[in-house]
Amino acid sequence: MPLHERDIYYFFDVTLAYLNKITGNEIALRNPTLEFQTLVFSAYTGLIHLKGGAEGFVYVTASQPFLQQLYTARHSEGRFTEENCLDVMNDITSEIAHNVHKRFGPSLHVSEPHIFSTVPDDPIEMPPAVFVQPISWHNELAYLVLGLTSSESIQS
Amino acid sequence: MTGTEIYKRTAAYERDTGSIRLHAPEWKLLLGFDGQRSLAEVALSMEISFADALPLTEKFLQQGWIEEQPISLDQYLKRTGAPSVSAIGSTVTPAVVWHAPRTESSTPPPPLPLPIEKKIIEASSATDVTPSAQGPRGPLRVGALVNYLLSLADNNSLGNLLVYRVFLRVPPELLQAEAIASVHLVNDSSLIRGEKLQQAIANAVNELTKRPLPDNVFAPA
Repeated sequence: MPLHERDIYYFFDVTLAYLNKITGNEIALRNPTLEFQTLVFSAYTGLIHLKGGAEGFVYVTASQPFLQQLYTARHSEGRFTEENCLDVMNDITSEIAHNVHKRFGPSLHVSEPHIFSTVPDDPIEMPPAVFVQPISWHNELAYLVLGLTSSESIQS
Repeated sequence: MTGTEIYKRTAAYERDTGSIRLHAPEWKLLLGFDGQRSLAEVALSMEISFADALPLTEKFLQQGWIEEQPISLDQYLKRTGAPSVSAIGSTVTPAVVWHAPRTESSTPPPPLPLPIEKKIIEASSATDVTPSAQGPRGPLRVGALVNYLLSLADNNSLGNLLVYRVFLRVPPELLQAEAIASVHLVNDSSLIRGEKLQQAIANAVNELTKRPLPDNVFAPA
């Protein structure tokens, strides 16, 4: 059973809600794009695979300064390390996975988050198109990327 | 406000678009302002009465989401049905249409001039043409296609997903053949000339919305 458009948008809602909670509603959305040939990866990425009602993946990828700001917003003290970057990214992706699982239950299988820096360890097959939503906070960028394998994953 | 004013959406709108909350008919009108059609034309095409459109337009102006778009002499003459400047041999400089380049920034950088061919196409498209008078279709304007699909959805977010769904149905090889690597969901200035790709997009739109592509997404041939 394909997901409804509004259900698909839930991926965006839950991500933005989480980021806005940390940043005090300072997240700004920039103009989205559809990409047909390349996947965008920033310094750190958290990816989850989707199976069932929707087939494909969703991931968040962010620059180190973006994650550092998030880290600082939550922890006023402590030295910022690469491990912190991975932890922050893991928190974001786990939040998405948790909420998506809570909402859709067994109708949509959500994989464990895969967290990596630079590029993925395992190759990701490029779907026909990916939806890229740039997110900015204090001029630093992150991207929320949705890649569905076919239009049949969504119904209106 | 007489209805002849032409409005376009502003950088402030692009910046705030994620946080704007409007009712569906309000979005419909707001997204209709394309810097080419008059308020009356937009209201008519959106099936919104002029009386309803006026206060909404005032509201958008006050919020800074739209601004009036002055038009060139050539565009004015075309709108009034007079011969074009070039046709009557005037020495007045022909209309130059500035086109926003692709950008992911919410604040558009300074515009760049277009090649002559594109200027002519864009200038001509400022005039609404009925299907019967239009003749053969020209290139498909991606920006106009996106705006059309957005106008069919309840809000911008769902509209963006509708555009995504349309392009998921388009064979990637056709996009590659036209060197279309991406589509910007705001102010995309690309033109699609290939008939196969145009047809594939039209089919996808029809399958998803049960509507044909309107003529105004095509530039004149």
